Amino acid sequence: MRFKWKRRYTVAIIVAIVGAILTVLSYFATDIYHKDDVAVITDSHIKDTLIEKSEDVYKNADETRQQTLHLKVLSGKHKGQTYTTKNVYYPSQLTTQKYRAGQRIFVNIKKGDPAIVNPKRDWVLVLVITVTLALMVAAVGKHSIALVVSMIISWVLFYLIIIWDVHLNGAHIILLFGLADIIFSFFSLLIVQGLNKKMLVTWLATLLGIFVSFALCYVIMKLTGESEMKYETGDYATQDPRGLFLAQTLIGILGAVMDEATDIVSSLYELIQTKKDITMKQLIHSGRTMGQEIMGPLINVLVLIFIAGALPETILYLRDNNTLASTFGFTLSLGATQSVISAIGIVITVIFATGCSLFFVKDRDWKSLFKKEGEKK
Amino acid sequence: MSTLFALIVVLAILMTIVGGETGIRSFFSVLINTLLLILVAMLISWGINIALLTLIFIPLKLVTIIFLGTHDYTVAKNSFYSAFIVCLIISLFIWGCQYLAQAAGLGPEAGELLVGLSQMPGLSYPMIAITVAIFSTLGAIAEAAVAMSSGLLEIKKHNPNISEAELMASGTTIGNDVLGTAMNTILFGMFGSFLSLFLWYFRLHYTIGEVLNEKLFVNEALIIMYSLIGVILTVPLSSFMLSRGMGKKGSKHESRKSNAD
Repeated sequence: MRFKWKRRYTVAIIVAIVGAILTVLSYFATDIYHKDDVAVITDSHIKDTLIEKSEDVYKNADETRQQTLHLKVLSGKHKGQTYTTKNVYYPSQLTTQKYRAGQRIFVNIKKGDPAIVNPKRDWVLVLVITVTLALMVAAVGKHSIALVVSMIISWVLFYLIIIWDVHLNGAHIILLFGLADIIFSFFSLLIVQGLNKKMLVTWLATLLGIFVSFALCYVIMKLTGESEMKYETGDYATQDPRGLFLAQTLIGILGAVMDEATDIVSSLYELIQTKKDITMKQLIHSGRTMGQEIMGPLINVLVLIFIAGALPETILYLRDNNTLASTFGFTLSLGATQSVISAIGIVITVIFATGCSLFFVKDRDWKSLFKKEGEKK
Repeated sequence: MSTLFALIVVLAILMTIVGGETGIRSFFSVLINTLLLILVAMLISWGINIALLTLIFIPLKLVTIIFLGTHDYTVAKNSFYSAFIVCLIISLFIWGCQYLAQAAGLGPEAGELLVGLSQMPGLSYPMIAITVAIFSTLGAIAEAAVAMSSGLLEIKKHNPNISEAELMASGTTIGNDVLGTAMNTILFGMFGSFLSLFLWYFRLHYTIGEVLNEKLFVNEALIIMYSLIGVILTVPLSSFMLSRGMGKKGSKHESRKSNAD
């Protein structure tokens, strides 16, 4: 296949250039921040001294090091002033931070003493978003507008749901996030596919998949008395951890189920387009085959997201001579449970997505298929 | 019986009913994949070189996800090659971006988690952050590769005479859907994983500026982007490889497949 220069590549290059400019702007933007001041490390070579080599009770050897930093403040009322400060860090950088020469950082200056808050990371986000958008435009062209709009709407809806949840203070959390699923999936599918029969069928399959599987899992949890569910090990709990876990599960499963329903429904739809005389049985067979192929990898996506995120803590627990069993209980068991519930949702969605796809066929060839269905039952 | 165990049993039964033999294999692929992750955590905690471990475990995990999870050899082989190439490219990219972002380790919010734990574990958390990011994206890449390959093969199966150009066109159509919805899997997976963190930011009145520079938020947002980039690269690569492979020896694969069915 010969390579052809397409218009979307030109657009991608324009996106990349605009993004590069924005990256540079955000790197140098200092006055948009008011809570903390932005400062730059003026050393070209940071003095980095070893304070002590240490070994803790778990026989972990590490060092304590100290950086002497010269700072020049770039924003706020201390603008233009220079300070010298010290930064103590451990090279493993679990909770401490090593700074680099010439780096931009946030400082909080109180009584002439600057406390370093954070490195300035906003420009890295802009940079990576630029790369993503440029590649997206190059790969799918105009379609990226829909994807970006869908992503922005998801973030906005997510923000609104969080406000609502805080407003309700965690009450009715299952109801709230169930409703959130319905709204989220409607808008996501609407934007990517447009309002048509294919989209409505996908939506129906998604909702059936989520709610049937969630109800099933909820019943199982109730029947087993939620034993060994260590809700209190959930991180950053600011409200009832059990409700929070259920809400996380409801929202975490949505994307995967939507993904799967779309994959199956749109592939079956494509199939019907390319082969008009397909029978119901063939369609069910194809749907099941697709489902079999997709469900394993899809479950793995979520397992990797839910469990890889807990790896830093898990490694720390293991490093500190905890047994595998207690480490699992503390850091992985909630993520694992969330993965399994999502996996059940993904498997059940195969059935609903294939079932709902039958709507397409009925419409096309009502009579013969009606007979077929009669034979099957 | 603990809840987790009961749920796993139900999952195994459902996967057997819906997926048949492939379902059982998928179940084991998920199980092995999880065990591999825990194994990586153990090996890292013993102080083995993290970069080396990551390089070894990328193909291992891809093989587990793709070959055990799919029953069609052509789909699996094609998906594995595309996913592996993309993973190597994205690993380099992640390494560069994590160096710039300096968003490793646990946030200051994790204070209460760390009570009684070593804050000086003598392990490179910047390197661990890279490993976590690579493993988080790997699943999405493998999934996209499999979705692309199996979707295209279904079309090919029902339309054996389809031309390479037509197949590429169908690939673009499927690719658009795969990309659009892979985005949802990743985004909502992340929302579901970090809902409590977002609530934390909101309840503690973080400003938007603070959140955008905060270690954990930046880390999560970057992982979403890495995964998207991985999926974007996978779409054209796997449809190109599949249409190429089938153009050359399509008839051979067809006969083997129909025998298998």
